[in-house]
Amino acid sequence: MFKAIFSTLGRFRLFIQIVMLLLTVYGSNVVGFYMAEKVSNALPALSCAYDQQNGGYCVLIPTQHVLHHRIGEALVKAEQVTAQIVLPLVFTLITFFTFFFVLGKVFCGWVCPLGTIQELINKLGRRLNFPLRRFENGNVSRVRLVKWLMLIVLVLALPLLTGMGVTPHSLGNPYCDICPSRIATTLLTGSTEQMALRTGDGITFALGAIANTLVGFMLVAALAVRQPFCRICPMLSFNATFQRLSPMRLVKKQHDKCDKCGVCAKACPMDIHEIAREHGAKAYHEDCTLCGRCVEFCPDDGVIQMKWGPVTLFKSSREYYKQRMKGEMPDGTLKAVATSRKPAVESENA
Amino acid sequence: MQRSINLILSATLTLACASAMAEGRPAEGRPAGAPAAAEAIHQHDHHDHALGQIMAPDGKPAAAAVQGKWQGREWTKYPLLTPMMGRVGDRAAATLAVKNLQPAVLEVFAAEGPADRLRRQFPVVPEGTPIEAVTPKIGNYHWVSAREEAEGKVTVASTAYFFGNPGVAPTKLLLQQKSELEIIPQPLPREHGAWRESEKWRFMVRFNGQPLANQTVKMETEFGTRTAFVSDEKGMATVLFPRDFKSAEQNERGGRHGGPRKAKFVLAAERDDGGKHYLTAFNYTYSPDSERDKSLLAGVGFGVFGMLLATPLLRRKKSENNHSAKEA
Ligand code: SF4
Ligand code: SF4
Repeated sequence: MFKAIFSTLGRFRLFIQIVMLLLTVYGSNVVGFYMAEKVSNALPALSCAYDQQNGGYCVLIPTQHVLHHRIGEALVKAEQVTAQIVLPLVFTLITFFTFFFVLGKVFCGWVCPLGTIQELINKLGRRLNFPLRRFENGNVSRVRLVKWLMLIVLVLALPLLTGMGVTPHSLGNPYCDICPSRIATTLLTGSTEQMALRTGDGITFALGAIANTLVGFMLVAALAVRQPFCRICPMLSFNATFQRLSPMRLVKKQHDKCDKCGVCAKACPMDIHEIAREHGAKAYHEDCTLCGRCVEFCPDDGVIQMKWGPVTLFKSSREYYKQRMKGEMPDGTLKAVATSRKPAVESENA
Repeated sequence: MQRSINLILSATLTLACASAMAEGRPAEGRPAGAPAAAEAIHQHDHHDHALGQIMAPDGKPAAAAVQGKWQGREWTKYPLLTPMMGRVGDRAAATLAVKNLQPAVLEVFAAEGPADRLRRQFPVVPEGTPIEAVTPKIGNYHWVSAREEAEGKVTVASTAYFFGNPGVAPTKLLLQQKSELEIIPQPLPREHGAWRESEKWRFMVRFNGQPLANQTVKMETEFGTRTAFVSDEKGMATVLFPRDFKSAEQNERGGRHGGPRKAKFVLAAERDDGGKHYLTAFNYTYSPDSERDKSLLAGVGFGVFGMLLATPLLRRKKSENNHSAKEA
């Protein structure tokens, strides 16, 4: 029955993603309206707290808030960074980790509403036959740095410095101010409130302008680039910081054929070339979102696996690979689209 | 790369926590162990949009300060319970002023806590009646009401008070019967949120616990709006918050950094039953429309600009056609 409905892991993931999109964007109708009723106030995914109908809040908002209003402000008074001051941050991290321990980076690949939005747009892009832009080896490592800068500068440093009075007040919550999820999820609830730019001071306006430019860029770029925002997302680096502490992980065995194959790397929406080259801990990369596509498209038995502790949740197999390839290419191009394009291309060349 | 950054991050977080634990002196008036996530969502002044409601630097809802400052002004004849300036740093206590009513006590209802403290009475003090959260560790919304019965008239004033600390959602607390005639917000603004101009929110009107259909609910605001709504067959009155903030008022109340902009309103219902006249009022605050100092046009403009920046990615070159065909 389960197999009949979800013939592939990809389909099952899509189903979970849609359910999670509904829960994170409109979930207040199920879980409750008040903050105390939310699934969590420190989720490891960009479930935006500015969305009035959401089912949970992302961990980045309390992190920025505590650094700004508690720790930063206490540091400047120089007297007392007491347990009371840091406890909220500790509790935020504990709440976050309670969720993260169980599912790890599955929060990116299966739960995050912004991840799902980008993926759905890319599926549309494949259907409409836009070109697929991939990051090559050299470029991708430069881009990877940005998500750490986003985390360190926007989520940690600026809120702290603002609390200490070093940077202006309007930089107290800078990540939220540029977050595309804030705009995308509120637009999905029919509200243009977050799309409108605050016209107050220059910094506030500039942050808002960056957010809107980013969201516009992301929405169009996602037609041609897989997960364009995920690559610079501070939630990804936040999760990457803790990824080895969750039993949920990606495991890859050394395998002689990998050098010549590389299909898994083509399947990876985050352009993690290492998945084909490396094995062991290095194959479970900081950018991995545990989407499982590499496992699905690896043509050899048991080479790549998704595991929770000792339990194998899903592993690559030749049989499954053959079946998976019937509908879709590793890079997401639909077989139907790819074949229907052929004559057009030929005539173009002719 | 990842390893070194992880190291730095973990070290920073550990150091911060360790130094804190070492000092370990509890800050005054701040209950230990208050789950952070809830309290951590407080927004600051300039986030006057979604979560919006705003805490003063001392951690008390800044509405209290604003309301305290403005409470001299007469704007309604209905009874009011309004927060005044509180003790700095004390999140579990508040002071309320009673207007247009002479009750002996304020009754405070909590949603959770020790059974003997769920409903408490605080004697009214003319210069401001101090009330407390159910325990220092449990905050969230509490319901406050005051009652006066004289010459066949039962008058009730009611409001909700948000103690910053976490606690369960007020859903059940709101539905618990507290007086004969009641006006019950369905729901209250989400914690740290606000009712806003031009928004519609529902209020249930009940008598002896039964929803009252076709009951008129009058609304008066600090800025002079006088309007009325009628409850439907389920006792629900849909209240439209008037768009009556004036720019002058906004400025006077401080803009972005001068504190939040809030105004008071009161809803009142009256009913005769069994030879008695009942009047119940519920008062609270509402905020300006969040789009007042925002530009949607600029927002859309930058969104479109971002889209244009991305369009070159969508162009297919000839070589790519070949490549794609090969792959296919
Ligand atoms: S990396 Fe992508 S999926 Fe993960 S939190 Fe960020 S936007 Fe969401
Ligand atoms: S490495 Fe595999 S599981 Fe991780 S993001 Fe890439 S395809 Fe998904």
